[in-house]
Amino acid sequence: MENLEKYNNAFVQVFGAKEEDLNDNYGKETVTEWDSVHLLSLIAELEEAFDILFDPEDIMEMTSYAKGKELLSKYDIVL
Amino acid sequence: MILNLDKWQKESVAAIDAQGRQLTYGELRDFAGQAGQIMPSRSLLFLLVENNVGGIAWTIGNICAGNVPLILNAHLDNQLYRSLFEHYQPPFVCVPDSMADWYPYETIKSCYGYTLMRTRQEACPMHNDLSHLLPTSGSTGSPKLVRHKYENIEAAALNISTFFELTDKDRPLMVLPLYYTMGLSMVFSHFYVGATVLITNQRMTDRGFWLFIKEQHATSFTGVPYSYEILNLMRFYRMDLPDLTLLTQGGGRMSKELNLKFAEYCRDTGKRWIATYGQSECTARMAWLPAKWAIEKVGSIGIAVPNAELSLIDREGNPITTPHTEGEMCYRGKNVTMGYARSRGDLLLGDERHGFIRTGDLAYFDEDGCYYIVGRMGRFLKLFGMRVGLDECERIIKGKYPNVECACVGTDEKMLVYITDELFKEQVKEELVSRLKLVATSFEVRVIKEIPKNEAGKILYVQLENK
Repeated sequence: MENLEKYNNAFVQVFGAKEEDLNDNYGKETVTEWDSVHLLSLIAELEEAFDILFDPEDIMEMTSYAKGKELLSKYDIVL
Repeated sequence: MILNLDKWQKESVAAIDAQGRQLTYGELRDFAGQAGQIMPSRSLLFLLVENNVGGIAWTIGNICAGNVPLILNAHLDNQLYRSLFEHYQPPFVCVPDSMADWYPYETIKSCYGYTLMRTRQEACPMHNDLSHLLPTSGSTGSPKLVRHKYENIEAAALNISTFFELTDKDRPLMVLPLYYTMGLSMVFSHFYVGATVLITNQRMTDRGFWLFIKEQHATSFTGVPYSYEILNLMRFYRMDLPDLTLLTQGGGRMSKELNLKFAEYCRDTGKRWIATYGQSECTARMAWLPAKWAIEKVGSIGIAVPNAELSLIDREGNPITTPHTEGEMCYRGKNVTMGYARSRGDLLLGDERHGFIRTGDLAYFDEDGCYYIVGRMGRFLKLFGMRVGLDECERIIKGKYPNVECACVGTDEKMLVYITDELFKEQVKEELVSRLKLVATSFEVRVIKEIPKNEAGKILYVQLENK
């Protein structure tokens, strides 16, 4: 699976989102379900998909679809 | 005064919230006096709260004043609010100031960030012992309420503060909602000893949340299994929190693995780990596993809280006295609530349980008298610590898609929804996710040819569970 596909898939799995709804506005402010449970499920999906381990600080920063891409780049993952 | 509230210095701080506001015991007592003045005595009110100092002041103040609040989530579903309003017709509604404009009622008073409004509904006759009301379900939208009496509050406060060994030096961090029985019981048990409740509405994944714990020197944390899943995922073990010496868990079964991880972490860092068991029908805590057994008996709910008793009965209702024999767990104690309310008229009902309840949980006990839950007799799950009625979920699906045949079963990890029409697979899942506001992975929709039923047309859930 391509990285972007894996990335999108995590959002689909966690939020039940449709792929076409995913864009840089998708995040904490626009998605009502974006609470701690959903966020950490997303983190868990991403960690498994990319075989990485986020720092607590990064988890607190994960506030949107766009922000997540930035964070992944810190772990040398190119989407 | 209820909860010993008149015992503490008036300057002692009762609560501090994440917005930096604080409430002293003196202010709380004064406010209780005011709450008795602004409404006729024994008024029914809907109290829509957020986790902040004002929420605590209005809840405890009204209970002290003899008014009867139904404590609700300020952000509850509009449909649920309307249904509750129609069922109970409260003469007063109190909401956070920021939400007051949404309600078409006449404002009477604003205080501690909340606005009290008059709805013009008639006064509601209520039983003299009735102290407050809580919803039975956080998510499925049932208007069924739990009726608490004053004696429940005192009993819960005494029992809980005794086995946790609480003192006025304690500074518990409260993330659980005030309208949730375990959250409310934290307030009761800590006020009872004159402690300072640190209440927050922040998400555990927010930076501010961790700042609040550190700056306010929280001494204990109480969570449901999903709170601990969050702590685990946040790499809690790597954080430096020397003031935090007690971790407690309730609100449903936690995975053995995670339970053990926290038990071992606490053992290695000189903290106490106490798992508990409770139900909203019993003013929260009913059993606790002493810290000395946290590892050896991991997964056990332990022994009854002080001043109470657990027992088992078999199918015929006879008591079970031999260890390792399964039966329905029963509980006797003064924290057993009076019963349910399904309508306004029910608020006049007296105590229907007389301190005894069949929990609906299947359990056994070991040689030391520690109890282990093995399953439930009733049809509900706890997903992320939230009680979700399977029958309610079927009603939600049928309400939206009347022609879809469905049956819900599952475990506390995942709900399985069986339907017979492939076309609705996604829609059914979406409906449940949006109505229950839970993670999509909590649900798995499976398509089968036919929902198994008996001759009378009743769904044979056992057959689905064994699939």
